[in-house]
Amino acid sequence: MSAPITFASIGKSFRRPHSPKPEMVLDNFSLHIRSGELLALVGPSGVGKTTLLHIAAGLEVPDIGSITVGSSGRPARLGMVFQQPRLLDWRSVRTNVDLAATAAGKDPKRGLALLNAVGLADYTEVYPTSLSGGQRQRVGLARAFAVEPELLLLDEPFSALDELTARRLRLLLQELWKQAPPTGILVTHNMLEAAFLADRVVVLGGKPARIREEILIELRRPRHPEDPALFEAHRKIMTVLTSIA
Amino acid sequence: MTEIAKGSYERGVTNRVRKTPALLRALPAILPSVMFCVVLLLLWEGMARYEASPLVPSVGEVAAEAKRILSGGLALQQIGITLGRILLGFSVAFSLSIILGIVAARNVFARRFLEPSIILGLTVPGLVWALLCVIWFGVSLTTPVVSIALGVFPALVLHVIQGVQSVDAELIEMAKIFRLSRRDKFLHLWIPSLLPYLISGSRVGLSLAWKVIVLVELFGLSNGVGYQLNSEFSSQNVAGVLAWTIVFWVVMIVIEYGILQTLEKRATIWRRVAAT
Repeated sequence: MSAPITFASIGKSFRRPHSPKPEMVLDNFSLHIRSGELLALVGPSGVGKTTLLHIAAGLEVPDIGSITVGSSGRPARLGMVFQQPRLLDWRSVRTNVDLAATAAGKDPKRGLALLNAVGLADYTEVYPTSLSGGQRQRVGLARAFAVEPELLLLDEPFSALDELTARRLRLLLQELWKQAPPTGILVTHNMLEAAFLADRVVVLGGKPARIREEILIELRRPRHPEDPALFEAHRKIMTVLTSIA
Repeated sequence: MTEIAKGSYERGVTNRVRKTPALLRALPAILPSVMFCVVLLLLWEGMARYEASPLVPSVGEVAAEAKRILSGGLALQQIGITLGRILLGFSVAFSLSIILGIVAARNVFARRFLEPSIILGLTVPGLVWALLCVIWFGVSLTTPVVSIALGVFPALVLHVIQGVQSVDAELIEMAKIFRLSRRDKFLHLWIPSLLPYLISGSRVGLSLAWKVIVLVELFGLSNGVGYQLNSEFSSQNVAGVLAWTIVFWVVMIVIEYGILQTLEKRATIWRRVAAT
């Protein structure tokens, strides 16, 4: 189950400290993401990717315009994986996942099953502080999927990990995604990651942000990280990015 | 799991190799504190012998006094009364400071409104609260409770404000995104984050409460440790004054090690597990 998401004519300004004039990050910005589609937002730093993600998460409210998630009136179940895992260090791995699962009205058994799926079956009762960075982010993934998300937000989820660990976790994410694909937004600076995970890569540029290019990645899942087609997509994204920089 | 298992395995090994009783193993931890007490006693005894005056009783005399007040059950009864008043006043201050501290930490207007009262409270001597409360409320229970609450609240509320401000904003965001219930947020995010601050606040608060209650009992009440101190003072029994002080000091140490440090250890167990 997943929820389509529509940004309709969004406008958002921020007032930076020591700056008299508000800075317009988004103006009349529209974007539709189909149900079950994973969309990657890429572009230079400060272009407004995170703002869009925060608006989708309900952490920020647009000045004008509207955002619709799902078709029914109720709020969509939301899962998020952050750059840092953001775990409650004083609660066991299992409690961390269970709290999210029960808040979403899911059976806590689902949390345990997901910890199994991410390879942490032996670590359910330990504190997150005794885990490695990669393991902690696995907990973050398990938590995000434990709520059976209709909308999954990925905020540079693997950028703090070494490349080998990040690659393993991308494969794991792909695995979890396949089981019940939510609608997803991925913000990343790693273009190969965008190509590997996303169905569509949206390149943003300018101020206020505009969609400079949309690149469809029409590869069947499961994808392989060494697939030459991914490198081709990566090259395309980089070409657009370097042309707007 | 492996981390914990490894820790207990290592402890198991040392146990088998050394086979030392628990007290002996705890010795390195308590030795410095014990040494302090011994040095203090020796210095005191030296001073008492040098002065050879009734104003400076020897260690033996103080010990005999302590034995006297303890053996009749008088000390425990009076300490119970004083401790009861401390706990009542402290609880009032604790509840108020949690509510107002959270409000002040999250609302700038409330913080600025409360700030003068905190500074005022911190600078007013406990003696003033004691005198005013005795004048206003007489010998009722209100006197010790209100004066302790007034004396303890500023320090406690400062700790609560600091604690609330130190709660990780990223975790608050996480809790919002995953729509944790108010109860879960309170139990699993707010309380664990605040606990270290509440414990250190309680530590300061309890010692402040003791300083206030002694004065209140001395001026306005007819029982409690403060009253007993005053009556020993009136009969010029220096050994008695010291004995009461020491017996109460022991009670406070029991509270510190028995309650506060145990709570602290339990609250921070996740940090130590990580360190193994």
